[in-house]
Amino acid sequence: MNEKMRKTILENISRSVVKKAEYVDARLVTEDYSESVFLYDGNLEANDTTFENGIGVRTLYNGAWGFAATSDLSKIKECFELSFKNAKTASELVNISITMGKKQKGFTASYESPAKQDPFKVSLKEKIEFLKDIDSNLKEDWIFKRYISATFQKKNQYFFNSEGTEIDRKLTDVFATMMVMGLDNEGQMQRRSHELFTKGDGTRGWELLVDPKLFTSHTVRIKEELAELLKAESLKHGKRSVILLPGQGWLQVHETIGHPLELDRILGYELSFAGGSFVNLDSFGKLKYGSDKLNVSAYGGFPNSPGSFGFDDDGSPERDYLMIDKGLLVNCLTSRAMINEANERAGRKIFKDIGGASRATAFYRAPIDRMTNVNILPGNDGKLKDIIASTEDGIVVDNPTSWSIGSNREHFHFGCEIAWEVKNGKKIRVLKNPTYQGHTTEFYNSLTAVGDKSTWVVGQVDSCGKGEPNQVMELGHGVPVLKFDNVITGERK
Amino acid sequence: MISAKIKKIFEEARKEALKQKVQANLSYHSEKSHLMRIGNNSVSLNTSENLTRLDISVTIGRKQGTHTQMGEISSAKYIIDALKIAIDKANNSLDLDFTPLKEIVEENFVQTDQFDKKLEDLDPAFKMEAYKKIIETVGQQYNYSGSWSSGSTEHFFMTTENENSAYHLVTDQLFNIVLKHPDKKWELSSTQTGWKKSDFKAAKTIKEFQKLLPVYENHKGFKVKTCKYTVVLGSAAIAEVMEMALWTGFYGRTYEEKRAWTSKNKAGDKILGSNITLMDDPSNPDTFRFSFDMSGKKRKKFVLCKDGKLKNIMYDSQTAAMYKKKPTGHNIGGTSIVLATGKGEGDKSLLKAVKDMGTVLYIPALHYINLPNASKGIFTGSSRFNAVLIKNGKIVSPIFSSRITDNFQSVFGNVKVISSESVSFNGSNTYGRRSPVAISVPSYMVCEKVKITDCADSF
Ligand SMILES: [Zn+2]
Repeated sequence: MNEKMRKTILENISRSVVKKAEYVDARLVTEDYSESVFLYDGNLEANDTTFENGIGVRTLYNGAWGFAATSDLSKIKECFELSFKNAKTASELVNISITMGKKQKGFTASYESPAKQDPFKVSLKEKIEFLKDIDSNLKEDWIFKRYISATFQKKNQYFFNSEGTEIDRKLTDVFATMMVMGLDNEGQMQRRSHELFTKGDGTRGWELLVDPKLFTSHTVRIKEELAELLKAESLKHGKRSVILLPGQGWLQVHETIGHPLELDRILGYELSFAGGSFVNLDSFGKLKYGSDKLNVSAYGGFPNSPGSFGFDDDGSPERDYLMIDKGLLVNCLTSRAMINEANERAGRKIFKDIGGASRATAFYRAPIDRMTNVNILPGNDGKLKDIIASTEDGIVVDNPTSWSIGSNREHFHFGCEIAWEVKNGKKIRVLKNPTYQGHTTEFYNSLTAVGDKSTWVVGQVDSCGKGEPNQVMELGHGVPVLKFDNVITGERK
Repeated sequence: MISAKIKKIFEEARKEALKQKVQANLSYHSEKSHLMRIGNNSVSLNTSENLTRLDISVTIGRKQGTHTQMGEISSAKYIIDALKIAIDKANNSLDLDFTPLKEIVEENFVQTDQFDKKLEDLDPAFKMEAYKKIIETVGQQYNYSGSWSSGSTEHFFMTTENENSAYHLVTDQLFNIVLKHPDKKWELSSTQTGWKKSDFKAAKTIKEFQKLLPVYENHKGFKVKTCKYTVVLGSAAIAEVMEMALWTGFYGRTYEEKRAWTSKNKAGDKILGSNITLMDDPSNPDTFRFSFDMSGKKRKKFVLCKDGKLKNIMYDSQTAAMYKKKPTGHNIGGTSIVLATGKGEGDKSLLKAVKDMGTVLYIPALHYINLPNASKGIFTGSSRFNAVLIKNGKIVSPIFSSRITDNFQSVFGNVKVISSESVSFNGSNTYGRRSPVAISVPSYMVCEKVKITDCADSF
């Protein structure tokens, strides 16, 4: 970013403050690149790049937010003026005043995602060769369709606010999926997939994708599992134990812990679209969300995840803390304005520190409360084999095919790619079309086993949708193997 | 019309693409968007976004590359530089195992018949005043939230195959408000849609709330049993389920790849009830009308299912090339899906229509629908707003959040009554770029033997 641009932004912030804006921030995105390559049955069906840049300005005036964004960087002044005007109009209908709380001392900081090799410096040819290699390993006569995709993201962003804070961030993300599909004995499509994951450590450039442990070495496994699925019977309806591998566990956590614990959702700001939350301000410190084995953290302090980003879009640093402590709900995903409102409405200081979870997906979207990394901490019930050994009647499930959740996240229905039936401590066969359903707190209170650190992996999510206008966000979930008892599984005839 | 400046810049870029001997599709997308959000009876966000995008796709023989760029298109150089990126991507790509079809803009299209300058320039204060009026009239003891998106979309494109160009300018709005009881926790919702400023009337929403409130205020929530019910699906629920059925049953790609619930069927086979007729009709005024698709193909009325029998499958140009079929004008861009109305009485007589049916659930909308088994047409989703239990034509009580898990063939195969009134359901989302789409559906359908598979203890 050039000094002239910086000066223009700072001058405009000052001008808004003179006009009595209570708080102003601007996010200048100088480059936001994304690239996706996608090989489907050997055809390169996506070979796309996208480039965005522009500025988004947020103004707080008389307790109300106004926001404006433009992709035309010759119109920065107009953008600030529109943002101010929007805030002024909004302030005509205010029941609860928004505040950023106590004025903070401005600071300067920067953050860069840990990455060794910039994926945008790797040639398209090399990327395609990499995918082709995997594709040839997936190819078999009996496999109906093969799918491999990789997405690369790079963003340079500068944050300025009226308290004098200036933060520059360079974020890098890499996502990848591979999948094989085949027709089963009833002529229906079955699939098995694997997604690039991390263990929370290491770096997140091109090197992440080419680490065989995390991605390429999984081709053989998903083919073998698909072969078994094609001749498998369907899971029958009934109550049994459900053991979630992290490939399914991250979605369970995402939909039934992450989303209901977003503070803006709890306060009712997402009702018209995403929905509310069964959690309310009285729940903190009282609600037994799950069994004593359930410990859930926000952020988690590990560097290699799409949910690790240094500072949020309020300029608050990411913070590692527990949201659920031995089953008890103690905290949630918070941003600066929302904790002020929540504490005021509750009449007590539920939230002492800002959670650092205010995030916007692009310069043209205003930040809202988002997940960072929402993690279940490892337990001490051993490895998967130990958990299976202690299970009388159950299924082990992996990777979501379908998810449908009640609007307050109080109940859910999930479909998975594969199930392994467990009887008397042994995996006995593969079952297809597995589904399970439950009511959130009842379900987590039936958590009876949590795998150890060796079972814990970080799932990478690049498609969490929330807000209006909608924002698709990247985040992570560190999850071990989990076992729940007495779960309704399969569909009633 | 597109500005003379943009047109000239695009023509220069087309010349450059021809000089480079590549096939190119050059596209301009510009939006003026405004959105107001309401939360806790306050304006929680008031946002304006002016965004311009340039999309270029290049085909060289069997190789393809695409590049999208956001920013002001100020000169021919700007777009030629972007074209070079797309050419470079295509050059370094892989040969497809089929020959892509050439994208030909079939005629000079100019479509502006759903554009309202008043809506494009709508002052956010108008929205704020309308929300204020609704909240004050219906009652400030309730908690209100909502969103109101409006704006204009200007789209212009040309390809290297001829001199034609396609232009589309449209305005759209989607208004929504949710009323929640602060203690009893039930939620009511009202939605309005259209392409003109005058399509919105605050009085309409006020009336809807005033009609439903006594039912909710005076009756406790009912926990539905997990069994089969006669369910009256309202327009939003019909549209949401039908969109899923379309996506997994009538698109060439899913059909050819045997992932569709219709994959085992051929044209003429009975797939739904004989009272179900479904088409894509770009002349239907309930929808946002597109007379062409994004490959430049002219769009016309296209029947998908007639009297329950499969008629046609939609093919975009890529799928058509891959499976040696004819493209049907369904490259992304707004479809105008119409589910035919029936002989039942209109919305006002809904209660009369179910008078002799005993216990009936009225579910106007479904939340978070997904597909546990797309090949079998199985979908699942739960009730939310305005859902009630009806007994012998009388509303008895609101119902708790209830889950339907059933299949398209059964739900749309056991329809006893279809309303004679049609409703426009605005299916536009605010993901990514502005792209209005609406579907026309009957205002209600009475479906028998619908499986309720779960019910919460709360709304
Ligand atoms: Zn999400």
